[in-house]
This record gives sequence, C-alpha cells and structure tokens, in this order.
Amino acid sequence: MNSAATWADPRLAAQVLRERRDGLSEIALRVEALDDPRRLLWLEQRINALAGVRRVSVDRAARRMRVVWDTRRTTLPTLLENFAAAGCEARPLRLDEVEDVRAAEMHDALKRMLVAGMCAMQVMSYALVIYLGVVDFVDFSTRNLFRWLGLLTTIPLVAYSAQSFFRGAAEELRGRRLGINLPVALAIALVFAASVINTLRGSGEVYFDSVSMFVFLLLVGRYIELRSRHRGDAGGDALLDATPLLAQRRRADGELEIVPAMTLASGDCVHIDDGGTVPADGVLESAVVEVDEALLSGESRPQRRQRGERLVAGSVLLTGPAQLRVEHGGAQTSVARLGALAARARQARARIAGSDREVTRFVRRVLVLTVVTALGWLLVDPSRAFDAAIAVLVVACPCAFALTVPVTLTRALGRLAHRHVLVTDGSALLALAGVDRALFDKTGTLSTPHLDDEAVEPLRGDSREQVLAWALALARVSSHPLARALSAAARPRGVTPAAQDVRVHLAAGIEGHVGDRALRLGRARYALGDAHYDPRLASAAMVLADQHGALARFGFQERPREDAAATLARLREDGIDVCMASGDSADRVAALATRLGIDDWHARQLPADKLALLQSLQADGHRVLAVGDGSNDAPLLAAADVSAALSSGTDLAQAQADLLLLDGRLQGLLHAHAIAVQMRQVIAQSRRWALGYNLFAVPFAAFGLVSPWLAAIGMSLSSLMVVLNAMRVGREHAHDANPGRADRTAEAAA
Amino acid sequence: MNVLLVLIPVTLVVIGVAVALFFWAVNHQQFDDLDSPGVLPLMDDQPAPAEEPENPPTPP
Repeated sequence: MNSAATWADPRLAAQVLRERRDGLSEIALRVEALDDPRRLLWLEQRINALAGVRRVSVDRAARRMRVVWDTRRTTLPTLLENFAAAGCEARPLRLDEVEDVRAAEMHDALKRMLVAGMCAMQVMSYALVIYLGVVDFVDFSTRNLFRWLGLLTTIPLVAYSAQSFFRGAAEELRGRRLGINLPVALAIALVFAASVINTLRGSGEVYFDSVSMFVFLLLVGRYIELRSRHRGDAGGDALLDATPLLAQRRRADGELEIVPAMTLASGDCVHIDDGGTVPADGVLESAVVEVDEALLSGESRPQRRQRGERLVAGSVLLTGPAQLRVEHGGAQTSVARLGALAARARQARARIAGSDREVTRFVRRVLVLTVVTALGWLLVDPSRAFDAAIAVLVVACPCAFALTVPVTLTRALGRLAHRHVLVTDGSALLALAGVDRALFDKTGTLSTPHLDDEAVEPLRGDSREQVLAWALALARVSSHPLARALSAAARPRGVTPAAQDVRVHLAAGIEGHVGDRALRLGRARYALGDAHYDPRLASAAMVLADQHGALARFGFQERPREDAAATLARLREDGIDVCMASGDSADRVAALATRLGIDDWHARQLPADKLALLQSLQADGHRVLAVGDGSNDAPLLAAADVSAALSSGTDLAQAQADLLLLDGRLQGLLHAHAIAVQMRQVIAQSRRWALGYNLFAVPFAAFGLVSPWLAAIGMSLSSLMVVLNAMRVGREHAHDANPGRADRTAEAAA
Repeated sequence: MNVLLVLIPVTLVVIGVAVALFFWAVNHQQFDDLDSPGVLPLMDDQPAPAEEPENPPTPP
C-alpha cells in the first residue's frame, strides 16, 4: 500500500514537501522502526549518504524523521525506496500535520535559559563584590561601578530571557483573566525597576542578583516542564501518525483496496461505507445519499445529494454506501479538512493548557495579600515594605498549583498513547477515575462474529454459494461487524454480482437490487417485512430475503475477544460492575454472558433501548463507561459519562468516543482506568503539596523573613516537585501485570 | 584595582562568545537528540540485518 512510486505524482508530492528558500525541499516522514538506536543511526547515515541530502533529523518519541534535500538530485520515490531498502518503511506526513513547533519551542526555551544562567552567574559575582565590599570598605566609586555592571548584565536577562513571562502576562490581561504569569511578571518588573532607580540615584538597595536568580530558576523549572509536556505530545503524535485516514479505492478489476486517503488521485473510484468519511472531493456516482457536512459548513441537518452532485472531503455519509469519482485528489484545500480526528486530539491537548478558574481565584488572593503586606509594613517599617511585598508576591504565586493538572494530564495522555489508547477529551480521563459501571456492546466489542459454512442455511433450495454471493453483494457495503464477518467468509469464493441502489438502515439491515431481485439482508423482522414474517426465523442472527420471502438464514459463531474475559475480571476487581446490552437474541446474548461471567445482560436492545438503559443507570447515581465499536453506537457513546470505542481503519475519523482503543484490544480500558485512577491520586497529592507549601511560606514572607531570591528557589522547587510527581503516572503501571509480549506484537503490528 | 577595568570587559566578551557558540549549537540541532550519539562508538561497521526480529520494548 505504501509503494514509493505513487509519490512521483507532483500533486501528491506537493502535499508533503515544503519548498525552502534555498531551493531545497523538506519532508517529514513517519518511520516505524526507530526503537533500536543502532539501526536508527545506521539509517540516518545511509540517508545522509544519498546525493543532495543536506540534513536528517530524528524525533524518536514521535517516530518522525525530517529530511532536507535537493529533489533534483534524489527524487522523493528514490528517497522512500532507500528507507524501504533499509528495512524501515517511511510514510510521508502531510505538511499541515507536522508543524514543527516542538523543536522551535525547545530551542527557544534552551536559549533563554542559558542566557539567564550566564547573566545570573555574572550578576551574582558582582553582587558578591558588593556584599564583601561593604565589609572591606571598598570605596564608593567601586561599589557604584559594580552596581552599574549588575544593571548592565541584568538587562539582557530581563529583556530577552524573561520575555516569555511578560508576553504570557500580557496575553492573560488581554484575555481578562488572572494567570500565573502575571505575579511573576509583576515581581520581575517591580524588582528590576526599583533596582534601576536605586542605581541611578546611587543609594538604596539593589536586587539584580535576586531578580536574575529568580528568572533563571523559573526558566529551569519551565524547561523541565516543557520537556515533559513535549514527550507526552510526541507520543500522541506518533499514535496519530500511525492512523492515517484510509479510503477504499476500487481497482481496475473491481476489487477494493485500502489506501491512505491522501494518495487518491483524480479519476480514482472510491467506495464509502455508510457512516464513513468522504476521503476526497468528488462526484457522486450512486443514486442518492445523505451526508452530514456539519464539520465543514456548520449545517447540522443531513444534506441530500444525488447522482452527479458533488461531495466534499471531510463530510460524513449518513446513509450509504456511496461510490465516488475523485475530482481533486491531493488538493491542499480538501485534504486539510480530513485530519478531523487529529484536530480533535490536538484540541484536547490544547484545552488542558487553558486556564483554570481556581487559579484565577488564587492569583487574585495573592495580589490582595501582596498589597495588604505592603500597606502593613508601610505603617510599621516603610523600609521593609518593598522586600516583604515582593517576597509575598513570589512565594504565594500558585505556579505549582496551576501546573498540577496540565502536567499530570499531559503525562497521562502520553503514557496512554504509548499503549495505543488515544484520548480525544482530557476531562473524560478525569471522569474515568470515578466510573463505577461499564456498559458493553456485544457484537464487535466483546465478541467477534464468525460465519461457518454449515451455518448458512438456504431456505428455498438455492445453493450455498448462490445465497452467499447475494448476501455478500449487500454486506460488503456495510461496516457492521456481522456484515464484515459475512464478507470475510464469502469473499474467497470468487465473483459476486453487483448490487444496485444499496441502502443501509441503521439497526435493521441492508437492502438493494441484484438483477430483478429486491434483496434484503438483516434481522428477520426487517428482511421479511410484515407480509412474510415467520416467527420461526425470529431467532436467526441474519436473514436474507427477496420480495417473495426468506432465501436463507445465517447463523454466526461468536468468539469472545481473546482478552475479553480477563479484562472484565480486572474491571470487576477494580470495582466496576459490568453489564452488556445487545440487539441480538436472548439465547445468544445469554450464552456469551455465561462464558464471560456477566450477570447483568440485556438482549434485543434497539439503540433507543440501550440509551434508556444507560440513562436509568445514570439516574441511579452510577457513573457509566460505555464501550462500543465506535460507528454503530454513536448515541450511546455520546450520552455516557465516559465512552470508549474499539476502532481502526476507515471508521476511525468519525468515531465519537472519548477513548479510542486503536490496537483493537480491550485491555486498553484497563490501562486507561489504572492511569486515570493514578492520575487522580497524583493530582490530589500535588495540589495538597502546592497549597501546603504556599500556606506555609506566606507568613514567613509577609513578616519579611524570606528574601526574594530564596522565595524564587522555593517556588521553582515546588513546581519541580509537581512535575516530578506527574512523572509517576504510568510508571509503576508499566511493571504491572501487563503481558509485555503481547504489547510488543501490538507495537510491531502498528 | 585598575586591572578590574581590563578584566571585566574581558569576562563580558567571554560571555558573549559563549552565548554565541551556544546559540549556534542550538540552531544546528546539536541538542535535539541527546540519546543516540552516545551509542555511536558502539556501532559495528555492518548494520544489524533489518529483517531480524527486533523491537526491544521502548524505554518509558
């Protein structure tokens, strides 16, 4: 699927190549095998040895490689072939997905930190001379010289290194909120201004040493925080890169093949399942479909589109399936809309960083406390008012407090990404820790259906091959697990007739025409209609019928997912009661429930019944985790406190769940729950620590017992404690009872 | 004390040079990957065959 030759198409290449001003091109690649450092280095050397390659850089955590090279000397396909020859398949990533903010941010933070460190050392040495000078009676002019030198060296520190604090504070003020940058910026500005004035006057105290140490220590703390955040983000990016939007392209011989949506070219014929995302702009070749273009136009009502009308990339097919002739394969405009999932996951990250109401309240109190301290000292001893007020401002600043949630959550998301669990809503992870009920869908979630030969029962004397071929003609358009199982069983048998006017009815079945037969495939009541309804077929999993009545019944064998029993047992151990709701008949649901040890099960549930069940659980005060397969349980997943979906391939982009288990294993739920619980503990602990530190230190500062630089050390250390504490999330868990072997195979499969 | 008037500018110049060097290094990606180069001296001339069953568990 990843043939390098595809990338010879200049329009495709334009999506992934960034033209640089010096005539070279830059590309970001997803490379799987970056685990072994030796292989990585060898790969790097090999690529570097290619003609025209200027630079190769590697982001191991995100499994990305960047290459800057001259396309005239080595073409893109040649480059990709070289990766493949080295045993490391590389897949180009879209330009808009790989904005390289992380590296830029990191460079910036490093530079600021270093400048602050250099300046702080100098200022400290000058300050030392002043302190000693007081003892040694160095004359006044020397003392003044050192004060001026201190001022001179502090200027780059305040103007360059501390800029991020001022910018952050300005942003907070513009947004009319109080954040942690404001007290910091205020403290730096006040101390620096006072010191400058005193230097100019030639009398009074100067605090250049304090302010420079303060800035340096804070920047060190922020640098460490940034590193930990980037690690988490990189893990998430690696997971997102591993799940490109896929499309089903019809080959010349009529078979469908799965390709990344971005490699579609105009003229390609694409098949879209019901509920699927339109992978490229194009013209509809099916009769009538309904699409949801909410993502693009904000119009939430379903839109009807007829043959010959245009479908826009990124819209979701409500009734399907559809056949699409691609018009603008690889056009920038349409492709940019497709990263819906990626966008959601990234937004989840960005929201974490947003401000927190508690922090705002906290900062307001700090500011009030500072003013009160200053006024108090002005009444008692005006000479100490400034020192004490600044110390209070610095000590009480809730940096550590504000850091707690973002740092811990980012860490948790990163750890989960490592285990193939993608979180699209950070707050859902917080809610997951409090969940006490889990509601599972059956087919496709707890069990995988399988169709045996003997289970195909022709009812009107047709051959098995014949009824299977008819059923396949309908089933292959649907993403329902039963339809997939049917397709999997029937596909090896060769030619299938093409069905016309195929329509999928949610929670019922599929209808379509093959020749002059009006076929229906689905539950007995739907397939047979009221006219031919036969109660004896009511228990059949799936019935195929035409206008004259039933043609065949299909019985499915159900295998529980291999990790289903273990996962449910562990969930119960963790205090989460498990129940199962299925649209299937009672005997089959009961059979699976017995095998998995589920006491609470519900059969014959329509989507509305499942929703009612969920709501009654919630009304009883339960917090409910709903687990489904993502595309067929949307209303249920949307209503649950936390939702999880097993998802892959083409359904991925529109799976509306908070947690996506991308490796198709239920164990991801256990990881997610364990990490959520641990995260809740760590957050509570860090908050207690941060609050305790502030409450403990403020009285000392208010009574003038803490100098500003000491306050800065305390503040940085408390932030550092929070960051280090967050690192604990997912650490013990890694040595837990996880089958490392299985993880490894999952990794290799990804 | 006159030596101070010479030495202080010298220290400032040294700092300036150090900062410039460091900026150059950061801008040339010298700090981007701090893990792999440590393994460089241990590398064989011939790479490990790509097909071997690999993937040691990734470090946390």
